[in-house]
Amino acid sequence: MLEAPFDPVKLAVPFFILAIVLEIALGRLHVAKAEYEARDTLASLGMGLLRGIPLLLTAGIAFGAMVWVWEHRIFTIPFTAWWGWVAIFFLEDLVYYAFHRISHERRFWWAAHVNHHSSQHYNLSTALRQTWTGGITGTWALWLPLAFLGFSPAQIAIQQGISLVYQFWIHTEAVGRMPRWFEAVFNTPSHHRVHHARNPRYLDRNYAGILIIWDRMFGTFQAELDEEKPRYGLIRNLGTFNILTVAFHEWIAIARDLASARSLREVGGYLFGPPGWSPDGSRDTSESLRARWAARQAAASTPAE
Amino acid sequence: MLGGLAALARITRPAPPLDEASARTLLADDYPEAQVDRVWLAADGSAALARSGDRALFLFRLGDAWVARDLSWAQAVSAPVRQGRLWLPLPGVSPRLARPALAGWPPETA
Ligand SMILES: [Zn+2]
Ligand SMILES: [Zn+2]
Repeated sequence: MLEAPFDPVKLAVPFFILAIVLEIALGRLHVAKAEYEARDTLASLGMGLLRGIPLLLTAGIAFGAMVWVWEHRIFTIPFTAWWGWVAIFFLEDLVYYAFHRISHERRFWWAAHVNHHSSQHYNLSTALRQTWTGGITGTWALWLPLAFLGFSPAQIAIQQGISLVYQFWIHTEAVGRMPRWFEAVFNTPSHHRVHHARNPRYLDRNYAGILIIWDRMFGTFQAELDEEKPRYGLIRNLGTFNILTVAFHEWIAIARDLASARSLREVGGYLFGPPGWSPDGSRDTSESLRARWAARQAAASTPAE
Repeated sequence: MLGGLAALARITRPAPPLDEASARTLLADDYPEAQVDRVWLAADGSAALARSGDRALFLFRLGDAWVARDLSWAQAVSAPVRQGRLWLPLPGVSPRLARPALAGWPPETA
């Protein structure tokens, strides 16, 4: 099967809207923690609503590549087999982890992902703050091995949709902690708050989609600590709600850096180095921020002589 | 519609006008290692400029949140003042300029 018979994301849209209304109401009634700033919310909703337009540019290529790979598959996994759905649940989530990690660790892909993180708020509308430029960065290629294994393009698309829908509800401060067993296995509001935080301790942690087990396996897990409240947003926050800036600011910053580059090494570093890479190391990266934070912690805990 | 609802609900984060202590605390989030020598506050509490050695740290309100930028102190003191407002050039993509009305600016000894 090529075309998915249904799109989980489209089916979930009424639920998204209801949930946001509910979260705002609970915040208003002081039943749960929820902070909304209207222009921030509008920017997030705009990113979500309009993201289909830039996606059209590359959707054909991505789908064509997926079909071509599937036609050269090694196995055929029937769409109706229960074990196929179990397998793709885990495999797609592992691909998502890899996608999300590269989206943070390399600037070219960060430029497309950064807008999901540029709100200083963390509420259900933040979940809809989706990339416009993800298609052109080619990250869809990471899902091609699933087609090569024999999962149909339709099944892959549906599982991607399920993952996106799952990740909606975790963008909230209204939920504290889930039961221990749930926090151990699944991505939760608590784990994903850490992912959206700009505190050095929390940078580049918890890349999970549905299952948090990958972060635990690959050493990128960080629990949310009661003594360190997450502060949301970017290392250097956006100074505007303009949606075009939200969508393209890191691309503009890359273009400026490339214009000033004096060697191929610098071009490579500005494009594919970690976000914050600079030829002389004068800018901050997640790694340098984390290292200096750790040094400050160590200095603070060593008594002065 | 949801944007309107978010506005009507009035559940923004508290972001009261800055005083010197709150400006220092907020700047420490973005610049934890900076030793702040002196702070100038905007009259309405919506911005602050601090000197930290040869750097100038600037803080301004965006909606119900705060945004920080840094530039060289030399750039900050040489920025023009027009009708009581400092025309401060900012690094980064946006905004490129801030125009805070800072109390006590310019400093007598630059
Ligand atoms: Zn992310
Ligand atoms: Zn998120």
